[in-house]
Amino acid sequence: MDFFFGLLQIIGVHTILGLSAYVVLQTGQVTLAQAGFFSIGAYVSAMLTVLAGWHIVPALLVAATAAGIVAGIVGFPALRIKGLMLVVATIAFGEFIRLFWFNFDYQIEKKGIVVGPQGGEGFKQIRFFPENGWSTLDVAIFIWVIVALIMLALWWTDRSRAGAVLRAVGEDELAAQSVGINLTAVKVGAFAAGGFIAGIGGAIYAHYTTHIEHLNFGVMLATFAIAYPILGGLRNVFGTLVAVIFIQGFLVEGLRFMGDWRNLLFGALIVLAMNVQPRGLIDERSVRLVRGLFTRN
Amino acid sequence: MDWLDFFQSITDGLLFGSIYALIGIGFTLIFGVMHKINLAYGAASIAGAYVSIAVAAYVPLPALVTFLIAAIASGAIALLIYLANFRFIPLASPLATLMATVGMLILIDEVVVHATDGMPQPYPALFADIYIEWGDFGLRGDLIFIFVLSLIAMVVLMFMLYRTRLGIATRAVAQQPVAAQLAGISLDRTNALTFVITGLLGGLAGAMIGASVGVLSPLLVVPITVKGLIVCVIGGLGSIPGAIVAGLAVGAFENFFLAFRGVTERDMYVMLLLFVFLVFRPGGIFSRSVARD
Amino acid sequence: MPILELTSLSKHFGGVRAVDELDLTVEEGEIFGLIGPNGSGKSTTVNLICGVLPVTSGQVVFEGRDITGRQPHRVLAAGVARTFQNIRLFGYLSVWQNLWVAQNSMEDRRRENFAKRWFFGSGAERDTVDEQLEFAGLIDKRNELAANLSFGEQRRLELARALAARPRLLLLDEPAAGMNLEEVQALDGRLRTLQQAGVTIVLVEHVMELVMGVTDRIAVLNFGRKIAEGLPAAIREDEAVQQAYLGGNVGTMHA
Repeated sequence: MDFFFGLLQIIGVHTILGLSAYVVLQTGQVTLAQAGFFSIGAYVSAMLTVLAGWHIVPALLVAATAAGIVAGIVGFPALRIKGLMLVVATIAFGEFIRLFWFNFDYQIEKKGIVVGPQGGEGFKQIRFFPENGWSTLDVAIFIWVIVALIMLALWWTDRSRAGAVLRAVGEDELAAQSVGINLTAVKVGAFAAGGFIAGIGGAIYAHYTTHIEHLNFGVMLATFAIAYPILGGLRNVFGTLVAVIFIQGFLVEGLRFMGDWRNLLFGALIVLAMNVQPRGLIDERSVRLVRGLFTRN
Repeated sequence: MDWLDFFQSITDGLLFGSIYALIGIGFTLIFGVMHKINLAYGAASIAGAYVSIAVAAYVPLPALVTFLIAAIASGAIALLIYLANFRFIPLASPLATLMATVGMLILIDEVVVHATDGMPQPYPALFADIYIEWGDFGLRGDLIFIFVLSLIAMVVLMFMLYRTRLGIATRAVAQQPVAAQLAGISLDRTNALTFVITGLLGGLAGAMIGASVGVLSPLLVVPITVKGLIVCVIGGLGSIPGAIVAGLAVGAFENFFLAFRGVTERDMYVMLLLFVFLVFRPGGIFSRSVARD
Repeated sequence: MPILELTSLSKHFGGVRAVDELDLTVEEGEIFGLIGPNGSGKSTTVNLICGVLPVTSGQVVFEGRDITGRQPHRVLAAGVARTFQNIRLFGYLSVWQNLWVAQNSMEDRRRENFAKRWFFGSGAERDTVDEQLEFAGLIDKRNELAANLSFGEQRRLELARALAARPRLLLLDEPAAGMNLEEVQALDGRLRTLQQAGVTIVLVEHVMELVMGVTDRIAVLNFGRKIAEGLPAAIREDEAVQQAYLGGNVGTMHA
């Protein structure tokens, strides 16, 4: 059962990470900095619970806010650039944050042991859950309540005018500006919201793995962050969830019996999926198909 | 600071930077022709080098032939990448192409891991025993070889682009795809050929990385991809001379920081500088002005 | 009373003077035609007024206020809306959503607070969108994706979208391009209706039937400079204008 809850935790955290990129991708910006914002959430929240002794909920909110602020600050200069330039610039910024943690050393003694982030060694002993007697089930429930809240908020946004505005900017920036949409506000807002969500994901991640280090937050994680919504489709939040379940649940865990052939299949399936469904697994066509199944009889 | 050490590290970096230049040219060529990024390009380059040592394991070959095989193998992989990730995905879905090349990167990486059990493989070095000295200043033979070979590859590439029918077709497609088609140039074939050319360059670069580092490892793929992208954007998208200059500069810069600042802090500042550079000079080093649009 | 005044407005791209010391005055309530051969700087002028391109020198004054160099969304907020030469709809948004995101008039902004405006939209605003769709004759296409509309419908939707913010000045960049005669006549009627509703219109156009029929005054550009201005009948007879269209530019005149 613990294996199952562990898997639920992973899927939950990756869904949050994917949703953080989803918001930014809707505005047509491809960002590879999400892993960096995720790491800010992880480190800041862990420092708050371990070093300052906070409860996880306020720690999580503060850490996410910090990540959101940094993301918003990145969003301003990133307004000037698009496409491949933005991809590389966000890689650079994400790597900067990761390397910042690589160089970040701050430890204090607590109850006889030295704790805190320790540069390349990482940040060990983030033991809020075990110290407070949370079982894996409790943690899984905690995570999924948050996932549900985030999904609900984004689902609501999608249906509101704000969501339509995000998409309008993603479709055609110039036309969006010309109908009165403030591009700066929308893009920076999307970046900040994406950073905030990534920060929440990072905070949870730090606490269920109990040990984080800079290597956890590399370019590959950033790539996964955008992979989920692109693979799932930007039509709605459920696409991202489906993609995470498909990748983390089915490809990574479900096909474990295949040994390392599984990883080969992983890459090949992404290539195949993008050829067959270029607008993501859940696009206009597949939605119509599913609706058709239910309405015909 | 010792001036000699300074020159030594910059020179070594410049020489090694020629490899970055080749990788950057690959990204830039594809971007120039298709306005798309091929994120699997670095993986294809390293994979080509792997194929060459696999062949060399069965048939003893002179090192130069190994390099050639690496180039050809990578060219073939690049063609495969074109067919799997670019040919059939509609132009209007740039995200799909991007994602597909990520899938391809993972696939190629995993094939390599699978074939080698993830163990780093030794790669034959060339002229590693030669060392040219002027007092305390010296040049490593293998680096000189790499530099010269890169230069030759670049000259051949330039000749091809500016003097042959194929090259002119490629440039025509890059500048005016519709007009080029009307003039009877097959878009599809030109794109495919561009991929093969970049693959050849990449394979050569992959082999040279193997030769100068001494081993090949799947861990090289992501850093090479990131470096290639950096070189390509610093040089200005689609600019080959830009990519060459940027490649050499990145090589020199990196080696300089490595020698004088130590690794851990170096990369952090390099990345921050890069971010600032891209934001304030989005057209690359050769752009004339900083225009918003 | 002039609603729009351009004072020695210039835009240089490197050595090319796309718009060169242009002076233009548009009176309130008129339909003003802006014509000229291809590449004469008409679209650039529209882009300068709307803040899409930075101005090299000169001034754009709207209703007595200097709006030079304002960002496009602020130009719209001031009361100037536009359409594009090549239609630029939000293709993967529904017809209805295309209008929904464009409800950005000052009254709309003032009426609702941030949360209500963007996240908890009120029903009143939905009715407004429906009314606008009704007016554009697109109400039965409301849930269609904009990309799936016919060409004529896309033109109508783009016009409706520009009007959604209730502008006082409307800049139309070649709205009749690609239309058949019947559609041009319908557009003619629509423009007159708008004029009666108090909207001032600047019409950038190639289709002479439309320009000569509907406009009150016309200015002619060539190589970024104004070469003539006056009543349609006078422009038709103007020698410099004929020279610009025929001399050396044969084949570029679309009518």
